Amino acid sequence: MEAIEVTDLRKTYGDTRAVDGVTFTVRAGETFGIVGHNGAGKTTTVECLIGLRRPDAGAVRVLGEDPARRRRALAQRIGAQLQESSLPERIKVAEALRMFGSFYRDAADWRQLMERWGLQPLARKAFGDLSGGQKQRLMLALALVGAPEVVVLDELTTGLDPIARRETWRLVNDLKMTGTTVVLVSHYFDETEALCDRVAVLARGRVRAMGTPGDIVAQTGTASLEEAYFALEGADR
Amino acid sequence: MKAFTALTATELRLLLRDPASLFFMIAFPLMLLVLKRGDGDAVPGYLAMIVAIGGMGALPGIVASYRERKVLKRLATTPISPVLLLGAQLVAQVAAGLAGSVLLVATAIAAFGAQAPGNVPVLAAAFLLCSVMACSLGFVIAAVVRNTRGASLIGMLVMFPMIFLSGAAVPRKALPDALRRIGDFLPLTPGVDALRVAWSGTAAVFPLLILAGIIVVATAVAATLFRWE
Ligand SMILES: Nc1ncnc2c1ncn2[C@@H]1O[C@H](COP(=O)(O)OP(=O)(O)OP(=O)(O)O)[C@@H](O)[C@H]1O
Ligand SMILES: [Mg+2]
Repeated sequence: MEAIEVTDLRKTYGDTRAVDGVTFTVRAGETFGIVGHNGAGKTTTVECLIGLRRPDAGAVRVLGEDPARRRRALAQRIGAQLQESSLPERIKVAEALRMFGSFYRDAADWRQLMERWGLQPLARKAFGDLSGGQKQRLMLALALVGAPEVVVLDELTTGLDPIARRETWRLVNDLKMTGTTVVLVSHYFDETEALCDRVAVLARGRVRAMGTPGDIVAQTGTASLEEAYFALEGADR
Repeated sequence: MKAFTALTATELRLLLRDPASLFFMIAFPLMLLVLKRGDGDAVPGYLAMIVAIGGMGALPGIVASYRERKVLKRLATTPISPVLLLGAQLVAQVAAGLAGSVLLVATAIAAFGAQAPGNVPVLAAAFLLCSVMACSLGFVIAAVVRNTRGASLIGMLVMFPMIFLSGAAVPRKALPDALRRIGDFLPLTPGVDALRVAWSGTAAVFPLLILAGIIVVATAVAATLFRWE
């Protein structure tokens, strides 16, 4: 079954074609990576999936529904970590997890989540006093507090230290084991190769290549996803 | 409902965690009362001042920061409408104002022997309308001014003259004629009137109606102009 179907998605800002005809599908339970240069249209694409932006053209279906029309209903089943967002400065970690948990019909146990994501020692710390990586980790945990079927992670580990990154990978792998569908935007090839079943390489609002990391490497006749990416980008310039 | 209760409880805790709101809505009015040697006549005006400080002095900056820092955007990815957060902020402001006001009134009566309010139900209604009215003006400011600093600043610039010219902080009798006439057109003035009348024991419907009218208009304006991003 397809969890996500995107067909010829288009979104223009003024004369910037942020997304210029993107098509892909994500099967239920799959971890799907999106990589690409700054301004490639990654955030625009994933924000269309969660109904935060309305496509100019094209069709988007998430769990069989149109996010632009059914955002609230879908939000019960989708968790999101945005590239940029925050919480009130003075809200405490435990308070935020408990409050977000109250928004969902079938929420995960927020205490367990706090434990799993290593946030327990920070439970009584205010959001404004957390380090960048700690904030990131909290926002990730908040994306999971509704026990979602689909999780969208925009720049999962940007700003995390190397150990925290590996730790996060482990937790994303756990998510995969539970059958959660994951869409992962990332600038790191090691991460994409380690976590993603399939990857789309976006460039200037279009899908430049798509497939398993192995497929993309083979298509370009290179040795790694990173080299494949440089080969694709180089060919365009 | 569960979500709204959780949001409101959190917003209220956040307000009480903020030293500035705590000072201006709770300690500052008490200080004024002590300076005035517990003059009971000043109390209804101070109640209007408390809610004006919260609704116009604090609320615009808070709401604008929720927008600027993308708190509203994060909330929009949950099943909760970001409108609920604004509603929670409103209820929290009313509750914080009520806490400050009850403390002030109790102190005036217990410590300074001020006369107890004459008509408590009408006083409560006047307080509620005055508080919601101040918040609705705060929402208009947050809708019109986009960034956090600007919204806070404009909030203060609107709130300060208003508490002096409407009779909230100082009696309007004490003002020169020209300034007193400005007060006739300020939305807080009917608030002060309503509170004062209810305190003295009578019930005047007219100021309450004006307050309700301002709430309706300001809410409509805020809802039309508000941008979520
Ligand atoms: N709200 C907006 N208004 C105007 N232009 C926008 C807006 N959002 C995105 N754009 C433009 O659309 C293009 C794609 O932006 P997007 O944020 O989707 O890129 P991205 O792939 O996520 O980049 P990054 O890796 O830097 O996060 C960029 O050129 C950007 O300037
Ligand atoms: Mg992005």
